[in-house]
Amino acid sequence: MKKVVILAPLDPVHDIGLKMIGRGLNQAGHEIFLLPPDLTPDEIVEMIFSKGKVDILLVSRTLGYGVGEILARFIDLADAAGLRTNTKIGIGGMAIRPELAAELGFDAGFGPGTTVEEVVCFVEGREYHPDPFRSKKGKTDMTANYDYQYRHSAIGEKLGRISEMILDWVKNKTSPAVKRAKLRDELWDVERWRKRQGNGDLYNHYPQLCSEIPQKYYTTGELHPKTRRFTMEEVRGLEKYLEETKARMSVLKLQHTRKKPLVFNQYGTGCPFMDVGHILASEAWGADGVVHFDPSWGARTEGFLDGFLTHQEDGTVITPANLNRIHGSLEKSTLWQVRAHRGLNTPETVVLSGKIGADLTKINICYGALGAGTDPERMTVDGYHSILFAKKYNMPFDVVTNEELAGVPAYKAFAGMLIVSDLAVRLGARPILQPLFAYSPEVMIHEYMEDNYIDFNAGKIFALRNIINAPIWPGAPIGFLTHTEDRVQSATTTALHACLAMALEVDAISIASTDEAYSGGPISVPAKIDTLRAVQDSFRFFGKAGIQPTHQADKYAEQITIGIEKVLDDVLATGDFVTAIHKGVLGSREEGAYPGRTGKDTVTTI
Amino acid sequence: MTNPQHQIMDALDVETFFVCDTEQQGRNLMLSMLKNWGFTDVDIVFAQHIGPGTRIRGRAYAYRPSDKYTWLLREAAKGEQA
Repeated sequence: MKKVVILAPLDPVHDIGLKMIGRGLNQAGHEIFLLPPDLTPDEIVEMIFSKGKVDILLVSRTLGYGVGEILARFIDLADAAGLRTNTKIGIGGMAIRPELAAELGFDAGFGPGTTVEEVVCFVEGREYHPDPFRSKKGKTDMTANYDYQYRHSAIGEKLGRISEMILDWVKNKTSPAVKRAKLRDELWDVERWRKRQGNGDLYNHYPQLCSEIPQKYYTTGELHPKTRRFTMEEVRGLEKYLEETKARMSVLKLQHTRKKPLVFNQYGTGCPFMDVGHILASEAWGADGVVHFDPSWGARTEGFLDGFLTHQEDGTVITPANLNRIHGSLEKSTLWQVRAHRGLNTPETVVLSGKIGADLTKINICYGALGAGTDPERMTVDGYHSILFAKKYNMPFDVVTNEELAGVPAYKAFAGMLIVSDLAVRLGARPILQPLFAYSPEVMIHEYMEDNYIDFNAGKIFALRNIINAPIWPGAPIGFLTHTEDRVQSATTTALHACLAMALEVDAISIASTDEAYSGGPISVPAKIDTLRAVQDSFRFFGKAGIQPTHQADKYAEQITIGIEKVLDDVLATGDFVTAIHKGVLGSREEGAYPGRTGKDTVTTI
Repeated sequence: MTNPQHQIMDALDVETFFVCDTEQQGRNLMLSMLKNWGFTDVDIVFAQHIGPGTRIRGRAYAYRPSDKYTWLLREAAKGEQA
């Protein structure tokens, strides 16, 4: 029904918000009258009576000084004049908070961030429900538009020969992890387990393939010393919390007029319940995906524990129940990545997360062997089988290059990433390249970022694009080693790196929180929201505009490409991929890469 | 009434500028203030002293992972309200 609405700026000059609302009300078919600014409250009331029947008066106030007093006087005057008998009065503007409006007796209060639709609902007497289509998000397969064809044929040919070498090396080898993964794959029915119908025959065979901590758990029920089971009260609390939060949950979209990049952040507080809290906040503030972070001791332990467990330190323990609860809490649009890239449970992590419903995983043989402490032979066998399982469970995976953080030059880390990616493509899987956007040791030593943080990072992307048509997801997180503990600096550097990624049209990014550089305790929810907000606003700032690297970026790209080809030649000259890792071809001890020892001598021949 | 501190999901960050002579004074002021507010698990995330004082970011953890969170245990919180 058509309403008569008067819009009155109770302010010397500001009436932009009222004009926008007026346009919306006009489009909705209402009759509106916009009064000029700088009228006194008496003049406003007088003009309303002069219009005859007025259904709604919308008053705005932008300036903050004296706002409470002015509004109180206005509402008293409106009461005394009998205005409110037939007219509802709403107040809005930058200086308005809903609680102030309610306290003063206005019929509605609209603070900063109010949408036109919200005000239209008030005018029409309807309850406001945020438009679900405006914030509707869906899952994106970032690998969909890539054919993995080589643009640099010589590098493609060399990678093909190295993949053949790896395939030949692994063909008759296995490990305890591969055996556990196969058991989990063949014997564990996730749907039966979800219906509380048990684990089948899995645990008749599984404990024998585990190391001491899981074995103790399966034989005596003893937990890892830093873990505890949740109480029933906590579980009921979580269920209630989820039910209530989900009922009012909506999700923001960070991207403005571009579709890319998707934005991921990492969780892994140690506690799945706290993780759920972090994930819900991340989703609400716009994260497109979240990454599961497990404890470092998990990478050195053969086998998983079971049960619903919380952990006192960084990294959330991977168990079926923990992953399942976290998965159950996710919004439908949220991409969920479970890292499997390192350590002694790599293949089983892929199987378990795949069965539970993960969208993505993370695998890199070279980083796992050089930067994360796993024996190269073991990591090669486990990585190969992990890739096969990733294909089976339809999970693309990123190939992380975090060995750069140890000091390995980018071209060497990239050679390792491309070796794993080529192997994956040959096996039918869908790898995603994950270069670092980082102020890495190599960069510091060689002063590659002396002038700016753009050129070397851009050069990395140019190099990879010159080599292969594959998805690229810089991480992890972008801006690594540029963050400080200063909240504003940290949010700014993340946002700037996000915009560089956006301008380079990469597919996704992983971002840090503003306490990334703080080592005194777990990351916090508000610190996550800081960077999500910063990234959203910076995407808004740039829109489709770009960032222009200097000519130096092309030089870095060429330098990296030449370096990659040289490393591949060296791997081929060694004649054996695992030997090449040991010899430092993909990152040497001098550079800060040490072949791992965890899982040494556990590879067996079939 | 619900204790507001119990509804903090994990941590409270407080940022301000202390008029003081050194960074250490600023740190001490922040820690002292957070303790006065009743927090026990407190730390300095960031502090920078230049000229007139210290720009500082203090943190109080209401909960660490694996604690029992009152915001989750709604029934317990309601009991407190009653």
